[in-house]
Amino acid sequence: MAALLRGLRAGRTLRGLCSVVSAPPAANPQCSGLTRGIHCAALRLQDESKSDKPPPSSSSTTHHEHYQTHSAEQASTSDPAAEEASRPNTSYQDQSGEQGEEYETEEQLQVRILNAALEFVPLHGWSMEAIAAGAETLDLSSASTGMFYNGAGDLVLHFVSHCNSQLTEILAEQHKQVQLGQAEQKRTADFLRDAVETRLRMHIPYIESWPQAMSILLLPHNIPNSLKHLSTLVDDIWFYAGDRSTDMNWYTKRAALTGIYNTTELVMVQDSSTDFQDTWNFLDNRIQDVVNMAGTAKQVQSTGEAVVQGLMGAAFTLKNLTGLNQKR
Amino acid sequence: IEEKEMLDRMLRVDHAGEYGANRIYAGQMAVLGRSRTGPLIQVWDVKEHLEKFNEILAENRVRPTALLPLWNIAGFVLGASSALLGKEGAMACTVAVEESISEHYNSQIRALMEKDPERYTELLQVIKEFRDDEMEHHDTGLEHDAESIPGYWLLKNAIQLGCKAAIYVSQRV
Repeated sequence: MAALLRGLRAGRTLRGLCSVVSAPPAANPQCSGLTRGIHCAALRLQDESKSDKPPPSSSSTTHHEHYQTHSAEQASTSDPAAEEASRPNTSYQDQSGEQGEEYETEEQLQVRILNAALEFVPLHGWSMEAIAAGAETLDLSSASTGMFYNGAGDLVLHFVSHCNSQLTEILAEQHKQVQLGQAEQKRTADFLRDAVETRLRMHIPYIESWPQAMSILLLPHNIPNSLKHLSTLVDDIWFYAGDRSTDMNWYTKRAALTGIYNTTELVMVQDSSTDFQDTWNFLDNRIQDVVNMAGTAKQVQSTGEAVVQGLMGAAFTLKNLTGLNQKR
Repeated sequence: IEEKEMLDRMLRVDHAGEYGANRIYAGQMAVLGRSRTGPLIQVWDVKEHLEKFNEILAENRVRPTALLPLWNIAGFVLGASSALLGKEGAMACTVAVEESISEHYNSQIRALMEKDPERYTELLQVIKEFRDDEMEHHDTGLEHDAESIPGYWLLKNAIQLGCKAAIYVSQRV
């Protein structure tokens, strides 16, 4: 089943399969369960050949769009005619949807299943069982987990990306409030603390199993994706905190925030105080450290400059005293 | 490669380039600033180019190249050493660098025009303007005896090779 789907993604020869799967060309098929996934993918392949869509691009609107990873929703709002993507795979950048609303892509289906699966994580952990249970609540066969080659990794990555999008929405909303003058711009340290706290609080319902999720994210084949999510998270937070630097500060700030976020996350999973108060204190202290370090760096720099000036002045005086400065 | 990636690379390189150019002129000024050539070099003020690119980078949330400290030093050293060869040396360096940059901007303009001229009108305008400025500097350099320096051909090609390498690397790192 999984191999079959893999084949589907690979080639155009599989349009022949459409006839095997035998669905009516246009309207909403009444199939359910397993065949739905194949059918959707197959019909999508069929439609791709008909449309000649210009390359999709989630940056097709203004430059001010903020960077979101796999949000099919965003892509579809920028192209409501919903023409098909020209690439026949389900990378998360694909545009979603076909003409009808009842018709969904394989990707949207995956998203729905993973969302449903999140409910079962406290029970089954981050695993295929949770995904299977989630699929069943949607009246799909539990064998539809075959769609998820990465298994638990898919679930964790989906959750992480989902939380990141939520955070970005919250930050964008706050930003809008400040622009409208309805709220005040927080100080950077407070802003960072609130953003990290908001983001980490999203882990609370799953905190028991979060160590398992963290270790899944550290698996070698998941590392590129988890790093990507982490870097977009940190970039988003700094962007909304007002960072517009274009020099090495860009790197140092993000490195510092990544360190803060990761260490706070680790503290959180073994925190047993009420409402994780210890974690938030730890977070406060780390942010304070970074602020102090930045202040210290500035002081060192200005002290250094003052010292150099002093030395130059002393050298000049010495030259005068010894008469080396005179023109004879 | 995807379109946003291509745009990011372009903007990153342009930013690095203007930063480097600023450092080269700073190097040249450090050596020749108080000579007759000083005022000439000062006219080549490319600070606004750099500021414009700082703005564009921030707007588009593009990562600046991590090699900026390297370009800081390398640019200054290039400017200073070419200036140590005298006025003609500085001019030759300018000619070489500006030629590289103009070529580079031209190929970016071509690429953007191929992709989607309407979407990028503003960016195209900026790049065209800067390219014209750079061409002007190039011509000024030629006017002031850049070619009269011995080893001009060697110097020019060496610098241009360095520029090409810098462009390649800054796009990716």
